[in-house]
Amino acid sequence: MQATAARAPGRGSSREFESTVLAVEPIMGDAILLTVGAPPSLVERLLPGQFFNVACRFPGSFDPLLRRPYSVYRADREKSSLTFLVRPFGRGSAWLAKRAPGETLDMLGPLGNWYAIPPRSQRLLMLAGGVGVAPLVMLSDDAAAQGLDIVFVMGAADEHGLLPASELRGSIEYLVATDDGSRGHRGLATEIISDYVAWADQIYACGPEPMYRTLRAVADPLRIHRRPKVQISVERGMACGLGACLGCVVETRRGMIASCVRGPVFDLDEVVI
Amino acid sequence: MSAVATPDVSVDLAPRNPRELRLRNPIIAASGCFGYGEEYAGVIDIQRLGAFVSKGITPERRSGNPMPRIVESPAGMLNAIGLQNPGIHGFVKKYPALWELWTVPAIVNISAETVEDYAMMAAILDEQPGLAGIEINVSCPNIARGGYCFGWDPEMSAEVTRAVRDVTTLPLIVKLSPGAADIISVALAVEEAGADAISLINTIVGMAIDVRARKPLLANHTGGVSGPAIKPIAVRMVYQTAAAVRVPVIGMGGIMSLGDALEFFLAGASAVQIGTAIFVDPGLPIRLIDELSRWLDNEGFASLDQIVGIANEGFRLGERHVLTAWEAAGA
Repeated sequence: MQATAARAPGRGSSREFESTVLAVEPIMGDAILLTVGAPPSLVERLLPGQFFNVACRFPGSFDPLLRRPYSVYRADREKSSLTFLVRPFGRGSAWLAKRAPGETLDMLGPLGNWYAIPPRSQRLLMLAGGVGVAPLVMLSDDAAAQGLDIVFVMGAADEHGLLPASELRGSIEYLVATDDGSRGHRGLATEIISDYVAWADQIYACGPEPMYRTLRAVADPLRIHRRPKVQISVERGMACGLGACLGCVVETRRGMIASCVRGPVFDLDEVVI
Repeated sequence: MSAVATPDVSVDLAPRNPRELRLRNPIIAASGCFGYGEEYAGVIDIQRLGAFVSKGITPERRSGNPMPRIVESPAGMLNAIGLQNPGIHGFVKKYPALWELWTVPAIVNISAETVEDYAMMAAILDEQPGLAGIEINVSCPNIARGGYCFGWDPEMSAEVTRAVRDVTTLPLIVKLSPGAADIISVALAVEEAGADAISLINTIVGMAIDVRARKPLLANHTGGVSGPAIKPIAVRMVYQTAAAVRVPVIGMGGIMSLGDALEFFLAGASAVQIGTAIFVDPGLPIRLIDELSRWLDNEGFASLDQIVGIANEGFRLGERHVLTAWEAAGA
């Protein structure tokens, strides 16, 4: 935790900046990996789970109006670049997925809190659903660099939607599930985590909300005194990203909390999902 | 001595109030889009703003509406946050003392469902340090009148204004609802009742339907439309209102650029508020301050007040019908 605290960004470190697209590569079917340049001090202090609000329109256009939140898929501190996983889904992501190297993007960030790796944690279970895999790739990069044991479980609709194993760095055990059975377990990713729940010190998840409900149903009977802790990343439509508009709240035991500043990472036991 | 003439962009938004509401520049961050100021403190130089208006405060703490609360619309957005806020008592414990340390004028926006509650909040605010003024949001349901919106009725709007005026000498802005059938009557009524300035427009009630789920997208069903999509409506209402009243008018609705802000000044606004644009372009308000000065200088104006209302034939002449019936009907 000390290493984490030393580069903890905290409130007030976000800023708006222009970044240049450095690379665009296809991945996971119709998705892309979009790599952009970013200020070195920003990349240096970035933590897994944090996100950026990206303007997904040409300058001078007001449509689509709102920025789109993207958590960081990978941060390269040597090249001072950030990579985002973009799947064309709505109008904003479709625009972003068509960008080419050399073009510029208007970014606001880094925003939000992050996945914490508590001291003395050694065994991490990561559970990804679809493009929710993005922040867990950065988390696994950091955890692998610290020499921690990682089991990485991913679910997708079919094999094209899976993260290629080559994208994970370090010796990581990688298990997959697909809805159609085209690769790995046929069914939900949450159906193949039982053996690892009691093994893990910490569980990290990112995916659609129904996945969190099945995760809770599967993991809770296997957890003892609410251990291991489960950290999930919640996705909400949002406007400001800074806690001002309160459009992205998550219901928790402590009330309605803005997911952009006190999330997107929440303790599964704290949220009402 | 410097030969460079800097245009005077300062403005007093409460000229008939001895306490004044003097701003160094006419660019104000709008209520609901700027939190309590601190949210943007690390992102922009908030102290340079003309002023900012807090998120709407209510008599009691409110946890707001269920999710989803926002949805994008063409060149705009719908919101139904539901006034999530700590309540007047939670508010005064934290923010007045914080704002007292700031140089930027802080205006508190208040909402209530009864006239008595508006007055109760205003009386509490009157005793606080660090406040430059109050903005009354009249776009709330009046419980005593079956939930009919205060702001849609001149008499009900005036009653709220008078009740607040009676308990505070703080500069008072009344923020009008574009849902009023006759916004000029509402503006004249609140002016008569003691408003120091009038701000408009609040969001326009709208709706979006999730075609796949076959139900409204917002949990609250309806929400307020904001953003560039509503700008022409706002400019028209500011134009009409600025002709009818003599107190300063603060224009807002979809301002995304200097050109947009200038439209409001030319229509008769003495100051402007920036709302939705802050979400997508947080640097805009500060840029506007500099761009406005530069534009005035380039165009040969010595001060902002030289352009206020110059596109408006009836500006401050008490012209209730500055637009002909056919023009007002959009024909």
